[in-house]
Amino acid sequence: MTATSDRPRHRSRAATRFPIYRLVLRSQVTRARLLALLALGAVGIIVGAALGASNPAPALIDGLGLVDGHLAAGTRFVNTFGLSLLVPVTALVFAAASLGDPDEDGTLVYLWLRPVRRSRIVVAAAAASFTVAWPLVVVPLAVAAAATGGGRDLVVGTVASATVGLVAYTGLFCALGLVTKRSLVWGLLYIFIWEGFVATAADSAARLAVRTYARSVLSGIAELPLRGTVVDSPMRWIAPVAVGLVALAFATWRLARRDIA
Amino acid sequence: MSATEPVIEVEHVSKWFGELVAVSDVSFTVGPGVTALLGPNGAGKSTMLRMLCGLTPPSQGTVKVLGGDPRHDLQLTRRIGLVPQQESLFEGLSAYEFVHLAAVLTEVGDTDAATGAALGLVELDPDDRRAVGTYSKGMRQRVKVAQALVAHPQVVVLDEPLTGLDPRQRLHLITIFQRLGAEGRCVIVSSHVLDEVERFGSRVLVMAQGRLAAEGDYHAIRELMDDRPHRIRIRSDDPRSLAAGLLGGAGVVGVTLEGADATIVDTRDAALLRRSVAVVARDRNVRLNEVTPLDDDLESVFRYLVEGR
Repeated sequence: MTATSDRPRHRSRAATRFPIYRLVLRSQVTRARLLALLALGAVGIIVGAALGASNPAPALIDGLGLVDGHLAAGTRFVNTFGLSLLVPVTALVFAAASLGDPDEDGTLVYLWLRPVRRSRIVVAAAAASFTVAWPLVVVPLAVAAAATGGGRDLVVGTVASATVGLVAYTGLFCALGLVTKRSLVWGLLYIFIWEGFVATAADSAARLAVRTYARSVLSGIAELPLRGTVVDSPMRWIAPVAVGLVALAFATWRLARRDIA
Repeated sequence: MSATEPVIEVEHVSKWFGELVAVSDVSFTVGPGVTALLGPNGAGKSTMLRMLCGLTPPSQGTVKVLGGDPRHDLQLTRRIGLVPQQESLFEGLSAYEFVHLAAVLTEVGDTDAATGAALGLVELDPDDRRAVGTYSKGMRQRVKVAQALVAHPQVVVLDEPLTGLDPRQRLHLITIFQRLGAEGRCVIVSSHVLDEVERFGSRVLVMAQGRLAAEGDYHAIRELMDDRPHRIRIRSDDPRSLAAGLLGGAGVVGVTLEGADATIVDTRDAALLRRSVAVVARDRNVRLNEVTPLDDDLESVFRYLVEGR
Protein backbone atom coordinates (compact mmCIF):
# COMPACT_ATOMS: atom_id res chain seq x y z
CA MET A 1 0.00 0.00 0.00
CA THR A 2 1.45 3.33 -0.99
CA ALA A 3 0.37 6.58 0.54
CA THR A 4 -0.56 9.31 -1.90
CA SER A 5 1.55 12.41 -2.00
CA ASP A 6 0.18 15.92 -1.69
CA ARG A 7 0.68 16.66 -5.36
CA PRO A 8 -1.75 14.18 -6.87
CA ARG A 9 -4.16 14.73 -3.99
CA HIS A 10 -4.27 18.43 -4.84
CA ARG A 11 -4.33 17.79 -8.56
CA SER A 12 -7.26 15.42 -8.38
CA ARG A 13 -9.64 17.74 -6.55
CA ALA A 14 -10.66 19.46 -9.77
CA ALA A 15 -10.93 16.13 -11.55
CA THR A 16 -13.80 15.01 -9.33
CA ARG A 17 -16.06 17.61 -10.91
CA PHE A 18 -17.51 16.73 -14.32
CA PRO A 19 -14.96 13.94 -14.84
CA ILE A 20 -16.40 12.62 -18.12
CA TYR A 21 -16.76 16.13 -19.56
CA ARG A 22 -13.15 16.86 -18.69
CA LEU A 23 -11.97 13.55 -20.07
CA VAL A 24 -13.71 14.01 -23.43
CA LEU A 25 -12.56 17.61 -23.58
CA ARG A 26 -8.95 16.53 -23.20
CA SER A 27 -9.20 13.82 -25.78
CA GLN A 28 -10.95 16.11 -28.27
CA VAL A 29 -8.29 18.76 -28.40
CA THR A 30 -5.62 17.37 -30.66
CA ARG A 31 -3.10 19.52 -32.44
CA ALA A 32 -4.09 18.25 -35.89
CA ARG A 33 -7.76 19.00 -35.39
CA LEU A 34 -7.09 22.42 -33.92
CA LEU A 35 -4.71 23.45 -36.68
CA ALA A 36 -7.01 22.29 -39.46
CA LEU A 37 -10.06 24.04 -38.05
CA LEU A 38 -8.15 27.18 -37.08
CA ALA A 39 -6.86 27.33 -40.64
CA LEU A 40 -10.41 27.02 -41.95
CA GLY A 41 -11.53 29.82 -39.63
CA ALA A 42 -8.60 31.97 -40.74
CA VAL A 43 -9.65 31.53 -44.35
CA GLY A 44 -13.07 32.85 -43.37
CA ILE A 45 -11.56 35.91 -41.72
CA ILE A 46 -9.36 36.63 -44.73
CA VAL A 47 -12.29 36.36 -47.14
CA GLY A 48 -14.44 38.51 -44.83
CA ALA A 49 -11.73 41.16 -44.73
CA ALA A 50 -11.43 41.04 -48.51
CA LEU A 51 -15.18 41.57 -48.82
CA GLY A 52 -14.99 44.48 -46.40
CA ALA A 53 -12.15 46.07 -48.33
CA SER A 54 -14.03 45.82 -51.60
CA ASN A 55 -16.74 48.23 -52.62
CA PRO A 56 -19.78 46.11 -53.49
CA ALA A 57 -22.70 47.78 -55.17
CA PRO A 58 -25.98 47.97 -53.21
CA ALA A 59 -28.08 44.83 -53.74
CA LEU A 60 -31.68 44.95 -54.95
CA ILE A 61 -33.73 42.68 -52.67
CA ASP A 62 -37.39 41.85 -53.28
CA GLY A 63 -39.55 43.75 -50.85
CA LEU A 64 -36.63 45.70 -49.40
CA GLY A 65 -35.37 47.60 -52.37
CA LEU A 66 -31.72 48.54 -52.36
CA VAL A 67 -29.72 47.07 -49.47
CA ASP A 68 -26.22 47.97 -48.36
CA GLY A 69 -23.78 45.96 -50.46
CA HIS A 70 -21.56 45.03 -47.50
CA LEU A 71 -24.53 43.65 -45.57
CA ALA A 72 -25.75 41.62 -48.54
CA ALA A 73 -22.32 40.23 -49.40
CA GLY A 74 -21.48 39.57 -45.75
CA THR A 75 -24.73 37.76 -45.05
CA ARG A 76 -24.36 35.60 -48.14
CA PHE A 77 -20.77 34.81 -47.15
CA VAL A 78 -21.68 33.80 -43.58
CA ASN A 79 -24.47 31.66 -44.96
CA THR A 80 -22.34 29.97 -47.61
CA PHE A 81 -19.08 29.55 -45.76
CA GLY A 82 -20.09 29.57 -42.11
CA LEU A 83 -23.46 27.85 -41.89
CA SER A 84 -22.91 25.49 -44.81
CA LEU A 85 -19.31 24.48 -44.15
CA LEU A 86 -17.53 25.62 -41.00
CA VAL A 87 -20.34 24.99 -38.52
CA PRO A 88 -21.39 21.48 -39.62
CA VAL A 89 -17.90 20.22 -40.39
CA THR A 90 -16.47 21.41 -37.07
CA ALA A 91 -19.40 19.89 -35.19
CA LEU A 92 -18.92 16.64 -37.10
CA VAL A 93 -15.21 16.42 -36.33
CA PHE A 94 -15.67 16.83 -32.59
CA ALA A 95 -19.13 15.43 -31.83
CA ALA A 96 -18.79 12.25 -33.88
CA ALA A 97 -15.45 11.55 -32.19
CA SER A 98 -16.67 12.30 -28.67
CA LEU A 99 -18.22 8.86 -28.19
CA GLY A 100 -17.25 7.33 -31.52
CA ASP A 101 -13.53 7.30 -30.77
CA PRO A 102 -13.78 5.61 -27.35
CA ASP A 103 -16.28 3.21 -28.82
CA GLU A 104 -13.91 2.30 -31.59
CA ASP A 105 -10.74 1.96 -29.52
CA GLY A 106 -12.48 0.08 -26.72
CA THR A 107 -12.03 2.66 -23.95
CA LEU A 108 -15.77 3.27 -23.71
CA VAL A 109 -15.88 0.24 -21.43
CA TYR A 110 -14.10 2.25 -18.73
CA LEU A 111 -17.04 4.67 -18.65
CA TRP A 112 -19.81 2.21 -19.36
CA LEU A 113 -18.92 -0.23 -16.59
CA ARG A 114 -19.43 2.37 -13.88
CA PRO A 115 -22.56 3.31 -11.98
CA VAL A 116 -23.06 6.34 -14.19
CA ARG A 117 -26.33 7.11 -15.96
CA ARG A 118 -25.92 6.71 -19.71
CA SER A 119 -27.50 10.12 -20.24
CA ARG A 120 -24.73 11.63 -18.13
CA ILE A 121 -22.08 10.12 -20.39
CA VAL A 122 -23.82 11.35 -23.54
CA VAL A 123 -24.52 14.85 -22.27
CA ALA A 124 -20.96 15.21 -21.00
CA ALA A 125 -19.56 14.13 -24.37
CA ALA A 126 -21.85 16.50 -26.26
CA ALA A 127 -21.08 19.37 -23.90
CA ALA A 128 -17.35 18.82 -24.34
CA SER A 129 -17.72 18.80 -28.12
CA PHE A 130 -19.75 22.00 -28.01
CA THR A 131 -17.20 23.62 -25.71
CA VAL A 132 -14.37 22.96 -28.14
CA ALA A 133 -16.30 23.65 -31.33
CA TRP A 134 -18.04 26.88 -30.30
CA PRO A 135 -14.98 29.15 -30.11
CA LEU A 136 -13.47 27.53 -33.20
CA VAL A 137 -16.62 28.32 -35.14
CA VAL A 138 -18.20 31.39 -33.68
CA VAL A 139 -15.12 33.53 -33.04
CA PRO A 140 -13.71 33.42 -36.59
CA LEU A 141 -17.17 33.74 -38.11
CA ALA A 142 -18.02 36.74 -35.94
CA VAL A 143 -14.70 38.35 -36.80
CA ALA A 144 -15.25 37.59 -40.48
CA ALA A 145 -18.78 39.02 -40.32
CA ALA A 146 -17.49 42.18 -38.67
CA ALA A 147 -14.70 42.43 -41.25
CA THR A 148 -17.19 42.40 -44.11
CA GLY A 149 -18.55 45.71 -42.82
CA GLY A 150 -22.10 44.32 -42.74
CA GLY A 151 -22.82 45.93 -39.39
CA ARG A 152 -23.80 44.92 -35.88
CA ASP A 153 -26.90 42.93 -36.84
CA LEU A 154 -24.89 40.73 -39.15
CA VAL A 155 -22.41 39.96 -36.35
CA VAL A 156 -25.21 39.20 -33.89
CA GLY A 157 -27.01 37.10 -36.51
CA THR A 158 -23.81 35.22 -37.24
CA VAL A 159 -23.20 34.39 -33.58
CA ALA A 160 -26.82 33.35 -33.00
CA SER A 161 -27.22 31.27 -36.15
CA ALA A 162 -23.88 29.52 -35.75
CA THR A 163 -24.70 28.71 -32.13
CA VAL A 164 -28.15 27.39 -32.96
CA GLY A 165 -26.75 25.28 -35.80
CA LEU A 166 -23.97 23.98 -33.60
CA VAL A 167 -26.44 22.79 -30.96
CA ALA A 168 -28.36 20.72 -33.49
CA TYR A 169 -25.32 19.35 -35.29
CA THR A 170 -23.58 18.45 -32.03
CA GLY A 171 -26.53 16.32 -30.94
CA LEU A 172 -26.93 14.71 -34.34
CA PHE A 173 -23.29 13.85 -34.85
CA CYS A 174 -22.80 12.73 -31.26
CA ALA A 175 -25.51 10.14 -31.89
CA LEU A 176 -24.04 9.32 -35.29
CA GLY A 177 -20.74 8.42 -33.62
CA LEU A 178 -22.53 5.67 -31.70
CA VAL A 179 -24.44 4.39 -34.70
CA THR A 180 -21.67 3.81 -37.21
CA LYS A 181 -17.92 3.44 -37.29
CA ARG A 182 -17.92 5.53 -40.47
CA SER A 183 -19.50 8.53 -38.84
CA LEU A 184 -17.22 10.99 -40.63
CA VAL A 185 -18.21 9.67 -44.05
CA TRP A 186 -21.93 9.57 -43.25
CA GLY A 187 -21.73 13.00 -41.65
CA LEU A 188 -20.07 14.51 -44.70
CA LEU A 189 -22.63 12.85 -46.96
CA TYR A 190 -25.39 14.39 -44.86
CA ILE A 191 -23.78 17.83 -44.93
CA PHE A 192 -22.93 17.99 -48.59
CA ILE A 193 -25.43 15.69 -50.30
CA TRP A 194 -28.53 16.08 -48.19
CA GLU A 195 -28.20 19.60 -46.87
CA GLY A 196 -26.23 20.99 -49.77
CA PHE A 197 -28.15 19.36 -52.58
CA VAL A 198 -31.34 17.43 -51.81
CA ALA A 199 -32.67 19.88 -49.23
CA THR A 200 -32.41 22.76 -51.67
CA ALA A 201 -34.87 21.13 -54.07
CA ALA A 202 -38.08 21.85 -52.15
CA ASP A 203 -39.28 23.69 -49.06
CA SER A 204 -40.49 20.47 -47.44
CA ALA A 205 -37.05 18.87 -47.84
CA ALA A 206 -35.40 22.06 -46.61
CA ARG A 207 -37.26 21.72 -43.33
CA LEU A 208 -35.33 18.47 -42.78
CA ALA A 209 -32.00 20.30 -42.89
CA VAL A 210 -30.43 21.99 -39.86
CA ARG A 211 -28.89 24.56 -42.15
CA THR A 212 -32.34 25.90 -43.05
CA TYR A 213 -33.08 26.82 -39.45
CA ALA A 214 -29.68 28.38 -38.86
CA ARG A 215 -29.98 30.32 -42.09
CA SER A 216 -33.44 31.52 -41.05
CA VAL A 217 -32.03 32.80 -37.77
CA LEU A 218 -29.29 34.68 -39.62
CA SER A 219 -31.75 36.09 -42.13
CA GLY A 220 -34.16 37.16 -39.41
CA ILE A 221 -31.60 39.03 -37.33
CA ALA A 222 -29.70 40.55 -40.25
CA GLU A 223 -33.07 41.46 -41.78
CA LEU A 224 -31.99 40.24 -45.15
CA PRO A 225 -33.88 37.49 -47.01
CA LEU A 226 -31.77 34.53 -48.08
CA ARG A 227 -32.77 31.79 -50.47
CA GLY A 228 -34.16 28.84 -48.52
CA THR A 229 -35.15 30.74 -45.38
CA VAL A 230 -38.52 29.07 -45.07
CA VAL A 231 -38.83 28.86 -41.29
CA ASP A 232 -40.44 31.59 -39.23
CA SER A 233 -39.74 32.54 -35.64
CA PRO A 234 -40.06 30.96 -33.10
CA MET A 235 -39.75 27.61 -34.88
CA ARG A 236 -36.38 28.59 -36.34
CA TRP A 237 -35.10 28.79 -32.75
CA ILE A 238 -36.99 25.89 -31.22
CA ALA A 239 -36.47 23.24 -33.91
CA PRO A 240 -32.65 23.07 -33.87
CA VAL A 241 -32.55 22.86 -30.09
CA ALA A 242 -35.24 20.18 -30.16
CA VAL A 243 -33.32 18.25 -32.82
CA GLY A 244 -30.20 18.38 -30.67
CA LEU A 245 -32.03 17.16 -27.58
CA VAL A 246 -33.87 14.37 -29.38
CA ALA A 247 -30.60 13.23 -30.94
CA LEU A 248 -28.97 13.12 -27.49
CA ALA A 249 -31.92 11.14 -26.13
CA PHE A 250 -31.48 8.69 -28.98
CA ALA A 251 -27.74 8.48 -28.27
CA THR A 252 -28.52 7.68 -24.62
CA TRP A 253 -30.93 4.95 -25.66
CA ARG A 254 -28.39 3.59 -28.09
CA LEU A 255 -25.57 3.61 -25.53
CA ALA A 256 -27.67 1.70 -23.02
CA ARG A 257 -28.60 -1.03 -25.47
CA ARG A 258 -25.61 -1.56 -27.67
CA ASP A 259 -22.76 -4.02 -27.25
CA ILE A 260 -19.67 -2.56 -25.64
CA ALA A 261 -16.37 -3.83 -26.97
CA MET B 1 -25.89 -13.33 -0.21
CA SER B 2 -24.44 -16.09 1.93
CA ALA B 3 -21.00 -17.54 1.37
CA THR B 4 -22.45 -20.75 -0.03
CA GLU B 5 -24.60 -19.06 -2.65
CA PRO B 6 -23.06 -18.70 -6.08
CA VAL B 7 -21.88 -15.22 -6.96
CA ILE B 8 -22.20 -15.83 -10.68
CA GLU B 9 -24.93 -17.97 -12.21
CA VAL B 10 -24.86 -18.76 -15.91
CA GLU B 11 -27.79 -20.81 -17.19
CA HIS B 12 -28.00 -22.20 -20.71
CA VAL B 13 -26.33 -19.16 -22.15
CA SER B 14 -25.70 -18.88 -25.86
CA LYS B 15 -24.37 -15.93 -27.77
CA TRP B 16 -24.22 -15.54 -31.49
CA PHE B 17 -23.15 -12.75 -33.76
CA GLY B 18 -25.01 -13.21 -37.00
CA GLU B 19 -24.04 -16.65 -38.23
CA LEU B 20 -21.17 -17.02 -35.78
CA VAL B 21 -21.94 -18.90 -32.58
CA ALA B 22 -19.50 -17.61 -29.97
CA VAL B 23 -20.99 -19.36 -26.92
CA SER B 24 -23.28 -22.36 -27.07
CA ASP B 25 -25.57 -23.46 -24.24
CA VAL B 26 -23.13 -22.92 -21.38
CA SER B 27 -24.17 -23.31 -17.75
CA PHE B 28 -22.04 -22.95 -14.64
CA THR B 29 -21.92 -21.26 -11.28
CA VAL B 30 -19.01 -19.52 -9.65
CA GLY B 31 -18.61 -18.81 -5.97
CA PRO B 32 -16.09 -16.83 -3.94
CA GLY B 33 -12.42 -17.55 -4.65
CA VAL B 34 -10.40 -17.71 -7.83
CA THR B 35 -11.87 -19.45 -10.85
CA ALA B 36 -9.92 -19.79 -14.06
CA LEU B 37 -11.64 -19.75 -17.43
CA LEU B 38 -9.31 -21.76 -19.63
CA GLY B 39 -9.53 -22.18 -23.37
CA PRO B 40 -7.75 -21.55 -26.64
CA ASN B 41 -8.11 -18.31 -28.53
CA GLY B 42 -11.54 -18.06 -30.07
CA ALA B 43 -13.11 -20.42 -27.53
CA GLY B 44 -15.64 -17.81 -26.41
CA LYS B 45 -13.94 -16.83 -23.14
CA SER B 46 -13.95 -13.09 -23.75
CA THR B 47 -17.55 -13.15 -24.94
CA MET B 48 -18.51 -15.03 -21.78
CA LEU B 49 -16.67 -12.52 -19.58
CA ARG B 50 -18.31 -9.63 -21.42
CA MET B 51 -21.70 -11.16 -20.72
CA LEU B 52 -20.79 -11.53 -17.04
CA CYS B 53 -20.11 -7.79 -16.97
CA GLY B 54 -23.25 -6.90 -18.92
CA LEU B 55 -21.27 -5.48 -21.83
CA THR B 56 -23.25 -7.64 -24.20
CA PRO B 57 -26.50 -9.50 -23.54
CA PRO B 58 -26.79 -13.25 -24.05
CA SER B 59 -28.74 -14.25 -27.15
CA GLN B 60 -30.29 -16.98 -25.07
CA GLY B 61 -30.23 -17.97 -21.41
CA THR B 62 -29.62 -15.93 -18.28
CA VAL B 63 -26.62 -14.44 -16.54
CA LYS B 64 -26.89 -13.37 -12.92
CA VAL B 65 -24.16 -11.71 -10.92
CA LEU B 66 -24.74 -11.22 -7.21
CA GLY B 67 -28.36 -12.05 -7.91
CA GLY B 68 -28.83 -9.22 -10.39
CA ASP B 69 -28.77 -8.70 -14.13
CA PRO B 70 -25.42 -7.10 -14.98
CA ARG B 71 -26.78 -5.80 -18.27
CA HIS B 72 -29.53 -3.69 -16.76
CA ASP B 73 -28.67 -3.13 -13.09
CA LEU B 74 -26.56 0.01 -13.14
CA GLN B 75 -25.70 -0.19 -9.46
CA LEU B 76 -24.27 -3.67 -9.97
CA THR B 77 -21.42 -2.16 -11.96
CA ARG B 78 -20.20 -0.68 -8.68
CA ARG B 79 -19.50 -4.23 -7.48
CA ILE B 80 -17.81 -5.51 -10.63
CA GLY B 81 -14.23 -4.74 -11.61
CA LEU B 82 -13.13 -5.64 -15.12
CA VAL B 83 -9.74 -5.90 -16.72
CA PRO B 84 -10.66 -6.01 -20.39
CA GLN B 85 -8.53 -7.72 -22.97
CA GLN B 86 -8.07 -4.74 -25.27
CA GLU B 87 -5.00 -2.66 -24.68
CA SER B 88 -6.44 0.81 -25.26
CA LEU B 89 -6.45 3.22 -22.35
CA PHE B 90 -7.17 6.94 -22.22
CA GLU B 91 -3.74 7.56 -23.65
CA GLY B 92 -3.32 11.17 -22.57
CA LEU B 93 -3.98 10.54 -18.88
CA SER B 94 -1.38 9.59 -16.32
CA ALA B 95 -1.84 6.31 -14.45
CA TYR B 96 -2.99 8.30 -11.44
CA GLU B 97 -5.57 10.22 -13.47
CA PHE B 98 -6.81 7.05 -15.14
CA VAL B 99 -7.34 5.14 -11.93
CA HIS B 100 -8.64 8.23 -10.14
CA LEU B 101 -11.27 8.63 -12.85
CA ALA B 102 -12.45 5.09 -12.11
CA ALA B 103 -12.56 5.91 -8.40
CA VAL B 104 -14.56 9.08 -8.98
CA LEU B 105 -17.05 7.43 -11.31
CA THR B 106 -17.55 4.58 -8.87
CA GLU B 107 -18.00 7.12 -6.08
CA VAL B 108 -15.33 5.69 -3.85
CA GLY B 109 -15.18 7.56 -0.53
CA ASP B 110 -11.63 8.88 -0.49
CA THR B 111 -10.72 8.82 -4.15
CA ASP B 112 -7.13 9.94 -3.63
CA ALA B 113 -6.36 7.33 -1.00
CA ALA B 114 -8.07 4.61 -3.02
CA THR B 115 -6.18 5.58 -6.17
CA GLY B 116 -2.84 5.62 -4.39
CA ALA B 117 -3.57 2.25 -2.79
CA ALA B 118 -4.66 0.63 -6.05
CA LEU B 119 -1.57 1.86 -7.88
CA GLY B 120 0.64 0.80 -5.01
CA LEU B 121 -0.92 -2.64 -5.10
CA VAL B 122 0.28 -3.15 -8.67
CA GLU B 123 3.61 -1.47 -7.93
CA LEU B 124 3.05 1.69 -9.96
CA ASP B 125 4.12 5.12 -8.77
CA PRO B 126 1.14 7.46 -8.12
CA ASP B 127 3.45 10.43 -8.71
CA ASP B 128 4.47 9.31 -12.17
CA ARG B 129 3.16 12.10 -14.41
CA ARG B 130 3.87 10.37 -17.70
CA ALA B 131 0.87 9.62 -19.89
CA VAL B 132 -0.11 5.96 -19.98
CA GLY B 133 0.34 6.19 -23.74
CA THR B 134 4.09 6.08 -23.09
CA TYR B 135 3.88 3.00 -20.84
CA SER B 136 5.15 -0.47 -21.69
CA LYS B 137 2.64 -3.25 -22.24
CA GLY B 138 3.24 -4.64 -18.77
CA MET B 139 2.72 -1.26 -17.10
CA ARG B 140 -0.47 -0.68 -19.07
CA GLN B 141 -1.70 -4.07 -17.96
CA ARG B 142 -1.07 -3.12 -14.34
CA VAL B 143 -2.92 0.17 -14.79
CA LYS B 144 -5.89 -1.83 -16.01
CA VAL B 145 -5.73 -4.04 -12.96
CA ALA B 146 -5.49 -1.01 -10.66
CA GLN B 147 -8.58 0.65 -12.17
CA ALA B 148 -10.50 -2.61 -11.78
CA LEU B 149 -9.60 -2.94 -8.11
CA VAL B 150 -9.81 0.70 -7.02
CA ALA B 151 -13.40 0.42 -5.80
CA HIS B 152 -12.88 -2.91 -4.02
CA PRO B 153 -15.39 -4.78 -6.18
CA GLN B 154 -16.90 -8.00 -4.92
CA VAL B 155 -16.57 -9.57 -8.37
CA VAL B 156 -13.31 -9.21 -10.27
CA VAL B 157 -13.29 -10.24 -13.92
CA LEU B 158 -9.89 -10.46 -15.58
CA ASP B 159 -9.56 -11.18 -19.27
CA GLU B 160 -6.04 -12.48 -19.91
CA PRO B 161 -4.59 -10.15 -17.26
CA LEU B 162 -1.06 -11.57 -17.35
CA THR B 163 -0.45 -10.81 -21.02
CA GLY B 164 2.69 -8.78 -21.53
CA LEU B 165 3.96 -9.11 -17.98
CA ASP B 166 7.40 -10.34 -17.08
CA PRO B 167 7.67 -13.40 -14.80
CA ARG B 168 8.11 -11.34 -11.63
CA GLN B 169 5.11 -9.18 -12.39
CA ARG B 170 3.08 -12.27 -13.26
CA LEU B 171 3.90 -13.82 -9.93
CA HIS B 172 3.02 -10.58 -8.16
CA LEU B 173 -0.37 -10.29 -9.83
CA ILE B 174 -1.14 -13.97 -9.30
CA THR B 175 -0.44 -13.42 -5.61
CA ILE B 176 -2.84 -10.47 -5.62
CA PHE B 177 -5.56 -12.50 -7.33
CA GLN B 178 -5.09 -15.33 -4.84
CA ARG B 179 -5.30 -12.88 -1.96
CA LEU B 180 -8.52 -11.40 -3.34
CA GLY B 181 -9.95 -14.89 -3.61
CA ALA B 182 -8.89 -15.72 -0.08
CA GLU B 183 -10.66 -12.56 1.10
CA GLY B 184 -13.89 -14.05 -0.22
CA ARG B 185 -14.15 -12.10 -3.40
CA CYS B 186 -15.18 -13.79 -6.60
CA VAL B 187 -12.27 -13.62 -9.02
CA ILE B 188 -12.67 -15.05 -12.50
CA VAL B 189 -9.57 -15.07 -14.68
CA SER B 190 -9.37 -16.12 -18.30
CA SER B 191 -6.28 -17.66 -19.79
CA HIS B 192 -5.22 -19.81 -22.70
CA VAL B 193 -2.09 -20.99 -20.91
CA LEU B 194 -2.48 -24.20 -18.95
CA ASP B 195 0.54 -23.73 -16.73
CA GLU B 196 -0.62 -20.24 -15.83
CA VAL B 197 -3.88 -21.65 -14.57
CA GLU B 198 -2.03 -24.10 -12.35
CA ARG B 199 -0.47 -21.18 -10.53
CA PHE B 200 -3.87 -19.71 -9.74
CA GLY B 201 -4.40 -22.91 -7.74
CA SER B 202 -8.03 -22.66 -8.55
CA ARG B 203 -11.16 -24.17 -9.87
CA VAL B 204 -11.06 -24.36 -13.63
CA LEU B 205 -13.74 -23.96 -16.29
CA VAL B 206 -12.56 -25.17 -19.67
CA MET B 207 -14.18 -23.62 -22.73
CA ALA B 208 -13.60 -24.80 -26.25
CA GLN B 209 -15.47 -23.98 -29.42
CA GLY B 210 -18.01 -21.95 -27.48
CA ARG B 211 -18.92 -24.80 -25.16
CA LEU B 212 -18.04 -25.71 -21.60
CA ALA B 213 -15.76 -28.67 -22.16
CA ALA B 214 -14.87 -29.48 -18.58
CA GLU B 215 -14.90 -28.08 -15.08
CA GLY B 216 -13.27 -29.01 -11.82
CA ASP B 217 -10.12 -28.29 -9.90
CA TYR B 218 -6.87 -27.92 -11.75
CA HIS B 219 -5.58 -31.41 -10.99
CA ALA B 220 -8.77 -33.09 -12.20
CA ILE B 221 -8.59 -31.13 -15.43
CA ARG B 222 -4.91 -31.91 -15.81
CA GLU B 223 -5.56 -35.63 -15.34
CA LEU B 224 -8.37 -35.48 -17.83
CA MET B 225 -6.06 -33.86 -20.31
CA ASP B 226 -3.28 -36.35 -19.68
CA ASP B 227 -5.60 -39.33 -19.92
CA ARG B 228 -5.90 -39.14 -23.67
CA PRO B 229 -3.95 -40.61 -26.56
CA HIS B 230 -0.70 -38.77 -27.16
CA ARG B 231 1.32 -38.68 -30.36
CA ILE B 232 5.07 -38.42 -30.04
CA ARG B 233 7.74 -38.20 -32.73
CA ILE B 234 11.07 -39.84 -31.99
CA ARG B 235 14.04 -39.17 -34.25
CA SER B 236 16.81 -41.76 -34.11
CA ASP B 237 19.45 -43.44 -36.25
CA ASP B 238 17.37 -46.65 -36.50
CA PRO B 239 13.63 -45.92 -36.45
CA ARG B 240 12.61 -49.42 -37.57
CA SER B 241 14.36 -51.12 -34.68
CA LEU B 242 12.99 -48.60 -32.23
CA ALA B 243 9.45 -49.09 -33.58
CA ALA B 244 9.73 -52.83 -33.20
CA GLY B 245 10.94 -52.46 -29.63
CA LEU B 246 8.17 -50.07 -28.62
CA LEU B 247 5.27 -51.91 -30.22
CA GLY B 248 3.13 -53.67 -27.67
CA GLY B 249 4.57 -51.96 -24.63
CA ALA B 250 4.31 -48.71 -22.66
CA GLY B 251 0.63 -48.13 -23.54
CA VAL B 252 1.57 -47.86 -27.18
CA VAL B 253 -1.44 -48.14 -29.46
CA GLY B 254 0.20 -47.47 -32.80
CA VAL B 255 3.56 -46.92 -34.45
CA THR B 256 4.30 -45.51 -37.91
CA LEU B 257 7.51 -44.54 -39.64
CA GLU B 258 8.05 -41.08 -41.07
CA GLY B 259 10.89 -40.36 -43.43
CA ALA B 260 14.31 -41.86 -42.86
CA ASP B 261 14.77 -41.14 -39.18
CA ALA B 262 11.42 -40.63 -37.44
CA THR B 263 9.08 -42.94 -35.57
CA ILE B 264 5.60 -41.65 -34.76
CA VAL B 265 4.19 -43.32 -31.67
CA ASP B 266 0.59 -43.13 -30.38
CA THR B 267 0.35 -43.91 -26.68
CA ARG B 268 -2.13 -43.63 -23.85
CA ASP B 269 0.63 -42.98 -21.31
CA ALA B 270 3.10 -40.37 -22.44
CA ALA B 271 5.14 -40.43 -19.24
CA LEU B 272 5.58 -44.21 -19.36
CA LEU B 273 6.54 -44.02 -23.03
CA ARG B 274 9.22 -41.44 -22.32
CA ARG B 275 10.74 -43.72 -19.72
CA SER B 276 10.57 -46.85 -21.86
CA VAL B 277 11.98 -45.16 -24.98
CA ALA B 278 15.31 -44.76 -23.27
CA VAL B 279 15.35 -48.41 -22.16
CA VAL B 280 14.39 -49.73 -25.61
CA ALA B 281 16.97 -47.52 -27.29
CA ARG B 282 19.70 -48.74 -24.94
CA ASP B 283 18.73 -52.41 -25.33
CA ARG B 284 18.66 -52.14 -29.13
CA ASN B 285 21.68 -49.89 -29.34
CA VAL B 286 19.72 -47.10 -31.05
CA ARG B 287 20.91 -43.52 -30.84
CA LEU B 288 18.07 -41.12 -29.93
CA ASN B 289 18.21 -37.65 -31.49
CA GLU B 290 14.91 -36.04 -30.56
CA VAL B 291 11.67 -36.80 -28.70
CA THR B 292 8.87 -34.34 -29.53
CA PRO B 293 5.22 -34.38 -28.49
CA LEU B 294 3.12 -33.57 -31.55
CA ASP B 295 -0.18 -32.79 -29.85
CA ASP B 296 0.74 -31.18 -26.58
CA ASP B 297 -0.56 -27.80 -27.66
CA LEU B 298 -3.73 -26.59 -26.02
CA GLU B 299 -5.68 -26.68 -29.25
CA SER B 300 -5.34 -30.45 -29.46
CA VAL B 301 -6.06 -30.88 -25.77
CA PHE B 302 -9.25 -28.88 -26.07
CA ARG B 303 -10.19 -30.64 -29.26
CA TYR B 304 -9.90 -33.91 -27.45
CA LEU B 305 -12.04 -32.69 -24.56
CA VAL B 306 -14.76 -31.41 -26.87
CA GLU B 307 -14.74 -33.96 -29.64
CA GLY B 308 -13.07 -36.95 -28.04
CA ARG B 309 -10.41 -37.15 -30.71
